[in-house]
Amino acid sequence: MIPLRDFLPYLGKRVLGAIGVLIGAMLLVFIISYILNPNPAHLWAGARASKSTIAAVVARYHLDQPWYVQLYYFLQSYATGNFGIDPQTGRSILSEMEFYFPNTLELVLVSMVMIVALGVASGYIAGMRFGTKVDHAIRIFYLATWSSPYYLGGFLAILVFSSYIPLFPSGGMFSQTISPINHITGIYILDALLQLNGPAFLSGIDHVIMPAAVLALLDFGLVARIMRSSILNARWSTHVKAARAKGTPEGEVRRNHILRNALIDTNTIIAVTFGFMLSGTIVIEEIFSWPGIGYFTYQAIVSINYPVLIPCVLLFTLGVIAANFIADVFYSLLDPRIALGEGGGSEG
Amino acid sequence: MSTGAASMRKMIRSNVLSMFGLVTVSIFVVITAAQILSSGAILPYNAYQPSFAQANLSPSLSHPFGTDLLGRDMLSRVVTALPIDVGIPIITVALSAAIGIVLGTLAAFFRGWLDEFLMRLTDLFMAFPTMIMAMAIAATLGPSLVNVTLSMIVVWWPPYVRLVRGGVLAIAAEDFVSISKALNSSFFYIVRKDAIPNVLPTILVYATFDVGSALLTLSTLGFLNVGIPPTAPELGMMVSNVTYNLFLYPYQIIIPAVVVAVIVAGFSFLGEGIRESLDVKLRPHIMIRSKPAKEMENPIDGARPSV
Repeated sequence: MIPLRDFLPYLGKRVLGAIGVLIGAMLLVFIISYILNPNPAHLWAGARASKSTIAAVVARYHLDQPWYVQLYYFLQSYATGNFGIDPQTGRSILSEMEFYFPNTLELVLVSMVMIVALGVASGYIAGMRFGTKVDHAIRIFYLATWSSPYYLGGFLAILVFSSYIPLFPSGGMFSQTISPINHITGIYILDALLQLNGPAFLSGIDHVIMPAAVLALLDFGLVARIMRSSILNARWSTHVKAARAKGTPEGEVRRNHILRNALIDTNTIIAVTFGFMLSGTIVIEEIFSWPGIGYFTYQAIVSINYPVLIPCVLLFTLGVIAANFIADVFYSLLDPRIALGEGGGSEG
Repeated sequence: MSTGAASMRKMIRSNVLSMFGLVTVSIFVVITAAQILSSGAILPYNAYQPSFAQANLSPSLSHPFGTDLLGRDMLSRVVTALPIDVGIPIITVALSAAIGIVLGTLAAFFRGWLDEFLMRLTDLFMAFPTMIMAMAIAATLGPSLVNVTLSMIVVWWPPYVRLVRGGVLAIAAEDFVSISKALNSSFFYIVRKDAIPNVLPTILVYATFDVGSALLTLSTLGFLNVGIPPTAPELGMMVSNVTYNLFLYPYQIIIPAVVVAVIVAGFSFLGEGIRESLDVKLRPHIMIRSKPAKEMENPIDGARPSV
């Protein structure tokens, strides 16, 4: 679909842009952390740390040096690829992120599937039944969920589906009675599936459904809304009239002329939604005791642990950039008029 | 102006959701103002005084929102939180819009390195988890209401610069601006008479939506106990302080959270109503320069920040 000679320069441009944003993000977090709190040694070492412990922390992270020296050591640890040592746990930050990140990926990917299904379906139905009671009901529903804070959704879900109707567990990633499984990808349900471990897989699914559904329900509004308005745009456009006039079967008109056109716009919004979801994981992971990168980032924030915070922010930023990139690729697949990187300048 | 106001009234009346938004926002703003002006005299009960005989009462006529574990009336506690939960988002959005108007106008009129720098900076902020950034700044500054407002503004202003810059650029290309220039009008005259009045409706619509988004972020900061002092009444924090009571006294958690949702929905629906009545078209290229025009039909839809 995409000729390689178009794709490679495009990819190169995007990667360069991404590196620029990542370096900017890193400098920004470093500068802000440094200006606001130039010597966090006592925070990292703990409230009752002895003077010698604090001195050791200061020496290890070069906290007594001027900012450019500190920045140099930062960049050096990034160049070696392990992001240095977490001042609070003493472990390599990279290995900690390797533990937490797949868990978040599991949550977010399951949630993403739900968002796409829910958003596209409800937006399509609302758009095709514009002005009816169904349309109003769908609109009010997504506007209401969209306005709700994550903790409202999380606690309501736990209250209803763990307490009143005990369907799902209220937290954790898998049942404690299940023997641990080998790490392959780090994503629990995928690992269980690859090892054909039925009980572990079912337990993983059982635990992921509720947090993922809460995340999806609170964030699908944007997708549904854009889907609805794109359906409305496409429905009465001339190309649909022309298709009907030449006698195209109704099913085909809806599939190829309305739905496909509407998906072009919705695609980008799904990438935008991905960014919201990543931040939403902080609250959701806190409520559902989900050991993910959101939880890890939150711990780093409250302890002002910026050696850990900076790689986490970079990871979140990279997630947003990657989502936008995937959306762009999908965009050119969905709309043959558009070459990669040009976007939808031409009006159809 | 009178026809504008009349059509605005007509549009708001014709739309149930916008009406709901207007009523909700009015009610909350009035209660907030009354709470601030009377310094708590409108409260049915003392929001701080514990009375253990009244602890954990379910919602009833005398305590519509029930009481918390110290026997304090929840309704009074929710009302005490409104100056923070309605006030800080409005202040955040107003100051961000002011920053946006100044920087956006400068960028659009002077172009060059200033424009380039500001646009790169806003690019950065938009690819960035703003919520995490706000949390990090608030946590580092230490808990105080001023600090939390500051940390919100630090991540909140970039979209406004884009919005104003795009609007001013579009205006600057219009004939009446070049005529005004030909008539030797000063820069500030053009800004004041042509640029600002023309971008203001767009800003107003975006800002109305944005108050709700700011409240979601603020109450999430409160929920995560970042930045907001433990003694300050804040709805998100009120929820997080009693999470262990979820199964015993669910109303203590659900009610403050629902109040947040209602205020956010109120501002969103009001924004929608104003947008329809002023017929503001927020054009996509204003918001996302590097993105093609078709991708975001309506950047208002993307107005919710990362929460």
